[in-house]
Amino acid sequence: MPTIDIKKKDLDGLIGKKLSLETLENHLKLAKAELKEYNAESDDMKVELSDSNRPDLWCAEGVARQIRMHLTGKPEEYPFFKPGRKATRIIRVAKDMKAVRPYLAACTAQGIRMNDAVLTQMIQSQDKLAEIFGRKRSTVSIGIYELDKIAFPVDYRLAAPDEISFTPLGMTEKMTLGRILDQHPKGIQYGGIVRPFKKYPVLIDGMNQVLSFPPIINSTEIGEVKTTTRNVLVEVTGTDQRMVALTLNIIAVSLYDRGAEIDPVQVVCPYATDLGKNITFPRDTSITVSLSPERFSQALGEDVSAVDLKRRLTAYGHRVRSMGKALKITCPPYRDDMMHPMDMVEDYAISRGYESFEAVMPRESTVGGLSSLEVFSDTVRGHMVGTGFQEFVSNILCSREELADALSADDRLIEVDNVMSLAYSVVRHSVLPSLLNVESASSKAFYPHRTFEVGEVALPDSGSIMGTRTDLNLGAIISHPTANFSEMHSTLDVLLYYLGIEYKLVPSEHPLFLSGRCGKVQAGDNVLGYIGELRPEVLERRQIAMPTAAFEINLNRIQL
Amino acid sequence: MDISSLNKLFESLHPLENKFLLTFAQGDLLTAPRVIELSGLDESRLDMASGWLVSKGLLSVTEEPGVSLVTLTETGSEYRDKGTPEQRIIRALQEGKQFSVKDIIQTWGMDPSEVSSATGSLKASGVIRIVQGGILELVTGADLRAYEYLGTVISEVGSGTSLVLSSLTPDKQELVQANFHKRGKGKGIFRITEKKNRTFSLTEAGKEILRLLRERGAVTEEASALTPDMLKQGTWKNVRFRSYNISLNPPRTSIGRKHPYREFLDYVKYQFVSMGFQEMRGPLVENEFWDMDALFMPQFHPARNIHDVYFVKDPSHAKEIEAPFGRQVAAAHRDGGRTGSTGWRYQFDFERTRRLILRSQGTAVSARTLASGPKVPGKYFSIARCFRYDAVDATHAPDFNQVEGIVLGEDINFRTLLGLLKLFGQEIAKAEEFQFRPAYFPFTEPSVELHVKHPKLGWMELGGAGIFRPEVTLPLGVDVPVIAWGLGLDRMAMVALGIQDIRDLFSRDLDFVRTKKIKLGQ
Repeated sequence: MPTIDIKKKDLDGLIGKKLSLETLENHLKLAKAELKEYNAESDDMKVELSDSNRPDLWCAEGVARQIRMHLTGKPEEYPFFKPGRKATRIIRVAKDMKAVRPYLAACTAQGIRMNDAVLTQMIQSQDKLAEIFGRKRSTVSIGIYELDKIAFPVDYRLAAPDEISFTPLGMTEKMTLGRILDQHPKGIQYGGIVRPFKKYPVLIDGMNQVLSFPPIINSTEIGEVKTTTRNVLVEVTGTDQRMVALTLNIIAVSLYDRGAEIDPVQVVCPYATDLGKNITFPRDTSITVSLSPERFSQALGEDVSAVDLKRRLTAYGHRVRSMGKALKITCPPYRDDMMHPMDMVEDYAISRGYESFEAVMPRESTVGGLSSLEVFSDTVRGHMVGTGFQEFVSNILCSREELADALSADDRLIEVDNVMSLAYSVVRHSVLPSLLNVESASSKAFYPHRTFEVGEVALPDSGSIMGTRTDLNLGAIISHPTANFSEMHSTLDVLLYYLGIEYKLVPSEHPLFLSGRCGKVQAGDNVLGYIGELRPEVLERRQIAMPTAAFEINLNRIQL
Repeated sequence: MDISSLNKLFESLHPLENKFLLTFAQGDLLTAPRVIELSGLDESRLDMASGWLVSKGLLSVTEEPGVSLVTLTETGSEYRDKGTPEQRIIRALQEGKQFSVKDIIQTWGMDPSEVSSATGSLKASGVIRIVQGGILELVTGADLRAYEYLGTVISEVGSGTSLVLSSLTPDKQELVQANFHKRGKGKGIFRITEKKNRTFSLTEAGKEILRLLRERGAVTEEASALTPDMLKQGTWKNVRFRSYNISLNPPRTSIGRKHPYREFLDYVKYQFVSMGFQEMRGPLVENEFWDMDALFMPQFHPARNIHDVYFVKDPSHAKEIEAPFGRQVAAAHRDGGRTGSTGWRYQFDFERTRRLILRSQGTAVSARTLASGPKVPGKYFSIARCFRYDAVDATHAPDFNQVEGIVLGEDINFRTLLGLLKLFGQEIAKAEEFQFRPAYFPFTEPSVELHVKHPKLGWMELGGAGIFRPEVTLPLGVDVPVIAWGLGLDRMAMVALGIQDIRDLFSRDLDFVRTKKIKLGQ
């Protein structure tokens, strides 16, 4: 989840109090945030936010707000959310936007107390919201413009790739929309969002000036915010109206926290949306839930009073009213993460501080135990150790190359579809290749070598509902100047004796083992595995310079 | 020298030394051949015995330059049997065979450098020439004597075990010098060893010891080992057993042994069993349903895209999702279903939920257990191999073990969640100080991070936990609160093993694994 850069001085300013680093770190828990780095010289902090459902916290203003409310005990007032405010500025949405990028929300902010830190936070928060919350701008993207250069009404419409040209940020000459997608770094990065369509979204003002090409890039003339900027238009477009509205709210409250006056913009839409056709933004979409104190007490394991609930939730940003025995709790407009009453329980616990709860052991007694397969595996491992074998633990993900010489013609492997590295592109189907890897890497270790592993392998299995199955296999290897079938057979024989398995060896073929020196381990009709002497070509290919013998058996099948 | 030191020396004498010393009855100065003659010791035993006696200060040796002996090296012996490379080439050409340098290398089994130096020398001396197609040809009338002569000398030297160099004619000596093997250099044919003339005399102490030997008599037969035969025949009574030098390092041995990391995991496993936890298991190949959907992670969750999990190529999908869980989980995602939640408000993709992946989190095993009718109250744990789509480095292994589990019960709530974590801190990390921090996991609410003060590692994050959201438990048929917890034990395992790189937990180096010690319960 996001890590953001904040100047401590800026954060202190927003909180309204200079906090010691220790106090700050403690308060950061309120925002599920952690201070990862602090450079006292440059005053730079790196803060990691862990809650992916709280995009309002991904900026200095949001973190500061959560702490400020805790210190004052009151939720913040954002008067511009009061319904019935008249908008003087209008953005008109064209009919054909519905199929491409249907939703837009906007507002203006005037009188921002701008400085370097404010500008940094604006850019950073815009970036984090669009990248992470907006899924790399596909669901939500944001544009911020110099308000004073715009002639309203602004139109949100489609334009053909060569119909309009403007100078995008980062360039010095005019480019058509098509060229921006081909040549501009942002066009190349995000072009996939609009390329499926014949025409692309643009924002154009009453003087025919291009504001931007959402969600790709702003124009240099109007869409560049500088440290001299005081008044801005904020616009959010996207494919999910709730997320678009919420994103605008988050930016609006942050700019309000920076001293700006927020005024509404009316969005006129020719098609119906969940919020209507004529929508005035910013708009409070938050919900109210009704909860009894008992619900909290039950979930927390201790009695909590309505008074304390009200106090703590209020200090966390909620509006709380009593309605008989229940509490009516309204979320702040910059949050949209309340899905279940349990979410409110957590807010209360965080606001009060986890350390204020007494840790109590669950009193109900239970009986512990291992699965029968694990008990069996432990028995097998005990016998192998007693027989003088060194146990190994190997990685399960490996390269096809490592398994190639252990594959029979009809063996199929579980392969990775989205391969990152060929070295880790298949799941092993057998344990022996892992032990042969050990031999290849251990020619300097004194002989004799006797190693084993009880480990998981995976195989396609058309008989299973998953189409695959996981087996637990025992593989064992001996490698030394006189290692042979007979010695390996002794080990298998004594193991199966103690496990109480009647078995026989049936002459067989196996890609790892020499013809005529390989057997199928069979218990009744049940094939448990294979035993044999390694083919010299296998040893040579794997650079193993000692005669080697091995067996592998499937423990799931023995246990049946 | 005082008598006690003399006695000690006397006691320390080996039968070979005794034999050696007793030859001095016949004189004060003895040459090596004379000692061999009188004592019956062979040359190597003579060397051993004289070396020991010198080191004990009983014997002094004077050495004078002696004769040089010439023998064949391994290569020389080969040349004696097969002929020199030059001879073999000449002979084959004389037999009318046609071949190139490449043919020689490929079919005669000769070393390429040997072949090229032989053909080079033959060409330079005008014996052969190379014609079209690289075929070698004998020059008519060429002088082959030099090559034959070398063969003769090799045979002469190789006829016995060794030969005194000076007994050869001067031109043969020259030839030997030209082809003799210098240590560390390439292949030579002859080896020349300097033989020194040694003369031995007893020191004063040596003479004293010799006197004692005469007075007391000496054991000149010694056995290195007791045999079953000696016990049977009773001959052990007439034999002295050689003393061992017990200060030497013993030969290394290896034992059958658990892998130290596995031993750590076994210990953890038994700790959980002792705390009343039942083990659970699950498959390595999961589908998105059990790995994520059942855990209420929305299908658009940022941690679910192509760069975070390994997808399986073939088969790509599970056949079906077990009823009624597929439908119930889908409803929870869409609008909350009957869980009292608003849900994530999107269209659940039934195709995608069957997609096969490599298990990315141990919580998948917990989800399967919830759906399998677990005991209430119940405690469960698993040590599950998981795969995460990360570049492999010192802190990321391609697959790793996650220790995860659940606790179900009517008395499960936020305070008992903290209590359970405190127990883990005390039992697993032996910690006495704890800190609980608010955390975020998509499937729990409230969520907690447990930080503990480990006796060796200091403050560390031991794990994460929370109470499963009703959106997770109700669709899987569980209507009591459930704690979900997971512990990060790799760092503790690495400390217990004394390693810094997580990949070493899965080391392929036998020597490394054999030598790693582990202490548990600290």
